[in-house]
Amino acid sequence: MSGQDQFRKPVWLDPKQLESGSPAVHETASAREFELQQVREVRGEEEDNTPPVRGRRRCGGWWRLFGLSLGTLLVAGVGMELYRLLQWSLSIHPAMAGAVGALLAIVLISGGVQIRRSLRGLRQLRQVERIRAQAETLLEHRGQGQANGLLNALQRHYRDTAEQQALNDTVRVLDSAYSDSEIVRYLSDHAFGEQDRRARRCVQRYAVESGVLVALSPWASFDMLLVGWRNLRMLREIAGIYGVAPGAAAQWLLLKRVLHNLAFAGLSEMATDVGTAALGGSLAASLSARAGQGLGAGLFTARTGMQALRLCRPLPLEQGEQSLINSVTKGIVERLGRSKTAE
Amino acid sequence: MGIGRRMKSWLGEERVDELRDRLADLAEQSVDRHLRLAVTGLSQSGKTVFITALVHHLLHAHRSGSLPFFEVAAGGRILGSRDLGAESERPFPLQQAIAGLDREPPHWPASTRGLSEVRLAIRYRRPPGLRRMLGESATLYLDIVDYPGEWLLDLPLLESSFEQWCEQQKRLFEREPRRSVAAAWLERLSRIDWQAPADAAQLKVLSEEFADLLQRLRSDPHALSLLQPGRCLLPGELEGSELLQLFPLILPQWPGDEAVPGSFLAELKQRYERYREQVVRPFYRHHFSRFDRQVVLVDCLKTLNRGETCFDDMKLALTGILQSFNYGRSGFLRRLFSPRIDRVLFASTKADHVTANQHHNLDRFLELIIEDAQRDMGFEGIDSRCMAIASLRSTQAAEAQVDGQTLSCLRGWRKENGEEVALFPGEVPIELPRREDWTQERFRFIDFAPRRLPHNALLPSHHIRLDQLLEYMTGDLFR
Repeated sequence: MSGQDQFRKPVWLDPKQLESGSPAVHETASAREFELQQVREVRGEEEDNTPPVRGRRRCGGWWRLFGLSLGTLLVAGVGMELYRLLQWSLSIHPAMAGAVGALLAIVLISGGVQIRRSLRGLRQLRQVERIRAQAETLLEHRGQGQANGLLNALQRHYRDTAEQQALNDTVRVLDSAYSDSEIVRYLSDHAFGEQDRRARRCVQRYAVESGVLVALSPWASFDMLLVGWRNLRMLREIAGIYGVAPGAAAQWLLLKRVLHNLAFAGLSEMATDVGTAALGGSLAASLSARAGQGLGAGLFTARTGMQALRLCRPLPLEQGEQSLINSVTKGIVERLGRSKTAE
Repeated sequence: MGIGRRMKSWLGEERVDELRDRLADLAEQSVDRHLRLAVTGLSQSGKTVFITALVHHLLHAHRSGSLPFFEVAAGGRILGSRDLGAESERPFPLQQAIAGLDREPPHWPASTRGLSEVRLAIRYRRPPGLRRMLGESATLYLDIVDYPGEWLLDLPLLESSFEQWCEQQKRLFEREPRRSVAAAWLERLSRIDWQAPADAAQLKVLSEEFADLLQRLRSDPHALSLLQPGRCLLPGELEGSELLQLFPLILPQWPGDEAVPGSFLAELKQRYERYREQVVRPFYRHHFSRFDRQVVLVDCLKTLNRGETCFDDMKLALTGILQSFNYGRSGFLRRLFSPRIDRVLFASTKADHVTANQHHNLDRFLELIIEDAQRDMGFEGIDSRCMAIASLRSTQAAEAQVDGQTLSCLRGWRKENGEEVALFPGEVPIELPRREDWTQERFRFIDFAPRRLPHNALLPSHHIRLDQLLEYMTGDLFR
């Protein structure tokens, strides 16, 4: 029989010997069984296993060499200087050497902790990126049984955090009939609702605040600093909401990515933004010329915030940001109107 | 003499009635949103269960949380819904169907023998945006018609004359299994002189035999779908009427171009015309000409169980039926005056009768059945999608160890005797199996008895993808 090895025959089983059909998706052992069989069926769709990291190719080659050698040089130089400082203080008085040594130790320890923390943030950010890339491939995939890796990664990412409960609850009610893309969409809709709400509220608050600040601040050059400062605070807060430890390195990486995305934003996105900005601008210009500038700053902050939200969220975000931008516009105009009438 | 009557005498009664219906609809549609959903499917494809489950879930959507992928329900924007079935002349027996499923042991609703309609009013909160200016909440009216799937096959008759129909039937009856089942009847047809004066008694006998023939072809082991005229299988309110004494002339040689008046041939031709004008056309005009969206339910497992002839026949039947609907994009005005179907979902029902890892394959197999119809729709530029659904989940997923491997399987109760069974029903192929592969060992999709569908406290696990179907069909109307 030629067809023998091409399909599995139906099998009758004894109902009493079954393991009860819990819809649990976290039974990794059973799921692996199915991966073996499904490799055959979905071979065509699995090939695009694109690595998620974007900026890597640009840092290669000479740049890396330059950075490494410069870093080594600086570390060696500073280390030697510090060693000489210690030696010099020892030659003056042992007590002074003790004081300098203690200071050095404190600097080293606190710096180490700080570096470790920011490295953790960096690692988490990378992890989020990996999870998101995995989720994006799963969204395209229409088979079943490949989502376990994603679920485990998510559960690892949120271990011992406040969000763990919500995530576990959602995973527990996942239906056994869901395909991989449905699992991702379900999680995205139901496990991250609370975090999305908080992040959106945060973006909105910062955007409106920075818009109002710019509109009311009397020194034009000061505005830029203000907006930058508010934006950095906002990035840190959004990262915290999605479970990324907000260290300096993570924040720096995030800022870089956000600016990159903003600079290379799609044309359609730009068009909608310009549309709303023009609409809102005419609204605000009816209040005053500076209010228009404030609105621009607010919208910029809102866009930055949305980009950060997208980058920190472990699953891809589907909804648009139009409603958020609208509400930011409205919030700024309302507040300015209120302050104007208060004058 | 009233204006109404005078208009009737000018324009003809039917047109005036139609005009009045349209005007009433128009007034309603311009204020609230209105959706006529066509639920299309051959007999035994699960239309009644689908409608029952859909309406039941929608009626509880404001608090049950059983539709997680239906955005308006999951977001808590549904305020409440009401069944307006009582206003209709032929209400859908929703309560009986739900009561049957809520009983212990639950049982499937009886197969549909007549026409009925459901009307639902769904009140929802508008999402933030410009439309909010029109009011905080709005109502969507959802109309669904339930009817026996057998009658659907009459729709293609509207397109063809008696000669064309006979020619089509002749081509069908040249092939197995129709040829051998109908051999005796065909033999009798060929012995009659069709240009001789008609004998009503003989026609009656022949048409009864033809109806018997259709019944036999429909039942196991043939399980064919393309059986016309549909009313001969299921007369409905026309039981015993002379309109149904009708059969195609399947002759090796057509008896002649001109039918002698009063002959068998002329009589049959006249009956065919009458059947078309008095039975099929009103049915089409009242229930099938004004749809906005369409769900096509297909029972793929039946074809897999029965073999290639069943597959081919179902494919022909579905392609023929789907040609009777108006497809095309409809804008706002078009939707008011002459709506066309602008979105179609092909659903392979009974997805709970295969293991979950086969759902994707079921989609692909469904595409094989409807590929011709889908291509035509693509030409008209309308959306269509395939989805494996189960209106009411009757099995549980389970796992078993077979030869050291973990095998996912199903556990449920047999429809025939209620005995508990567990089985791995086989894989759904993604391309047409070769002739020698359609064997009994390959597929064993049995019919399961339903699991209890509670009166309230509905859960997402009571259905498969009903929520995604709703989101696809109606999601944009709630925005």
